[in-house]
Amino acid sequence: MSVLALRLAGPLQAWGSSARFARRTTETAPTKSGVIGLLAAALGRPRNADLSDLAALSFAVRIDQAGTRVRDFQTARHTDTGKAMPVSERFYLADAVFVAAVAGDDALVQDLHAAVRAPVHLPYLGRRSCPPQGPVDLEIVRAADDPAAVLREAPWQAAAWHQERHRSRPSVRLTLLAEAAPGDPHGTALRDQPLSFAPSHRRYALRTVVQTSVEVPNPRFQPGERHHATATGRRVPVPPPRHTPEAHLTQLPLHLPPDGH
Amino acid sequence: MSRTILDVHILQTVPPSNINRDDTGAPKSAVYGGVRRSRVSSQAWKKATRNAFGELLDPADLGVRTKKVVDALTRRITARETSLTAEQVWPMAAEVIQVATGAKIETPARKTGAKGGKGDPRGEGAPEPQAPQSSYLLFLSARQLDLLADLALEGIAKKADPKVHLKDPEVKSRAKKAAATRHSVDIALFGRMVADNTDLNVDAAAQVAHALSVHPVDLEADYFTAVDDQNGDAEPGAGMIGTVDFNSATLYRYAAVDVDLLAANLDAGLTDDERRAEPAPGPAPAPTPEPVRRAVEAFVEAFTLSMPSGKINTFGNHTLPDAVVVKLRSARPVSFVGAFERPVTREGTGDGHVRAACEALAAHVPAVEESFGAAADHTWIVRVGEQTEALAPLGEQVNLRELVGRVGDAVAERMGKRG
Repeated sequence: MSVLALRLAGPLQAWGSSARFARRTTETAPTKSGVIGLLAAALGRPRNADLSDLAALSFAVRIDQAGTRVRDFQTARHTDTGKAMPVSERFYLADAVFVAAVAGDDALVQDLHAAVRAPVHLPYLGRRSCPPQGPVDLEIVRAADDPAAVLREAPWQAAAWHQERHRSRPSVRLTLLAEAAPGDPHGTALRDQPLSFAPSHRRYALRTVVQTSVEVPNPRFQPGERHHATATGRRVPVPPPRHTPEAHLTQLPLHLPPDGH
Repeated sequence: MSRTILDVHILQTVPPSNINRDDTGAPKSAVYGGVRRSRVSSQAWKKATRNAFGELLDPADLGVRTKKVVDALTRRITARETSLTAEQVWPMAAEVIQVATGAKIETPARKTGAKGGKGDPRGEGAPEPQAPQSSYLLFLSARQLDLLADLALEGIAKKADPKVHLKDPEVKSRAKKAAATRHSVDIALFGRMVADNTDLNVDAAAQVAHALSVHPVDLEADYFTAVDDQNGDAEPGAGMIGTVDFNSATLYRYAAVDVDLLAANLDAGLTDDERRAEPAPGPAPAPTPEPVRRAVEAFVEAFTLSMPSGKINTFGNHTLPDAVVVKLRSARPVSFVGAFERPVTREGTGDGHVRAACEALAAHVPAVEESFGAAADHTWIVRVGEQTEALAPLGEQVNLRELVGRVGDAVAERMGKRG
């Protein structure tokens, strides 16, 4: 068994698990169906090909940089009729970085690794308008069978500015989403276990996901760093002063009125 | 198998403008690298690119998206066979389209109140007959309509009943094939969805990213007052007041074209004989790369020169790119948006953003390509002015005309070798 780790980073990503019709939502982390779809596309599998071997891979994902949710309001108009189409909302994750990992047979993982390096269909992060920034393949770990275990060891992939923001901390706590057996008391169900990508009838089964957290070292940790300008010239935020609205008031000498009132 | 993938990277500056707005009327934005950037959505620039195709490509290479497919096919048939009237052709045309695409074809219900309709109290004369329509928009290329017109004309010549004519297995399979062949250039590049008949879906060969500004952007608002010309001195003050949101930005635009998929889309369902029957009189029996060359050239030119039309009359932001970098690769596409993840900040230096953006890109490209062994086979650069000097060492400097020609030649050569 081997594990393939993928770095999923880009200005925009969109990982839908229940995105339908005019409201296309995104989960906060890559879905299994999205990542398996990316791998199947890289292998050049047609959409209606059997994907049981890929769906059988075990899957985990780590949130290295959570990013923010962007709502994109989209209108469409027909070129020929000039009629307006229903308006739709598409949600994206902006500025996020994830590490996903899949585990399977040595030969299959080897093939997947080669495929993401020279993909047959261009890879994208959940939606075609979201090309990845930087290579998708992170590493291949042999003699391993637990994707979550690999993600506990993988170095922190967040952007440099994001790591610098946490430079006062030697390590950071990241969210890790791993698979569990159905009915696991700690798990939640997510409908992103791909059964078929056939365009006529895409089908997904429920998958049980367990959220844990993992501590990873911060490569940009700077011990003893306090308030002075950094090399980039950006000011370190100074904590705001304590709120004392009476500080500027001066104590007046206490005069007793001469008439005794 | 060696692949052919084309990357297009563009730096383009727009002055105060609002080319792509959300439902609040503000220009779209996104956070990247921890700061807010101006954003122009992928779909907005694809639409602008597709609109620009109209001027670059022969109408025969473009598709039409309409419910009135029967009308469109009928016009093609009557143009060839002038003795026929439209009404004589409709039944056959409708049946051909129904069999070819699987779409439901029905005569639209008459609007009540229309002349001769149920709601018309006078009920004068016979209503104007209407051509049947498909239940949703169908996207058919000019060539597909030609092939379907051939089939319909055969049936009409035999005076056959439409249903009987299309029951013939040979005719039926040709009809189905006709609808799945020879996608027009815009369908091959940007894809198509057909709700009922997924055999006709086409995967887009082009990927267009949302354009992002290379620097932090603040939203600005223009407060305007408008004078009412008919107000006399008795009514001083504005006729109306309001605000228009806008921003100005140096944008990084990125698109990738999977040329192999484009070729497959354009060639879909053609037999070898049909491929050779292209108007290429040479003795070479290799498949002709000509349609692929035309499509790639049109895409590069249209994507480079197009501009979404949002608020263009208000802001007149008709700019052209500062720099275009085009790369031809054989493994995978590479986006250089990472060059701007650390935002280019030039506040107060009076130096603008373009120079710094070009320097950031010039440093980023070789670094990425060396680190990941992702060197490109060809790199061409179109750049304007000395601000973009930093990009000069990246590749061969050309003007846009030359760029389009070189890209077309390189693609045609590689596609020709493939056969």
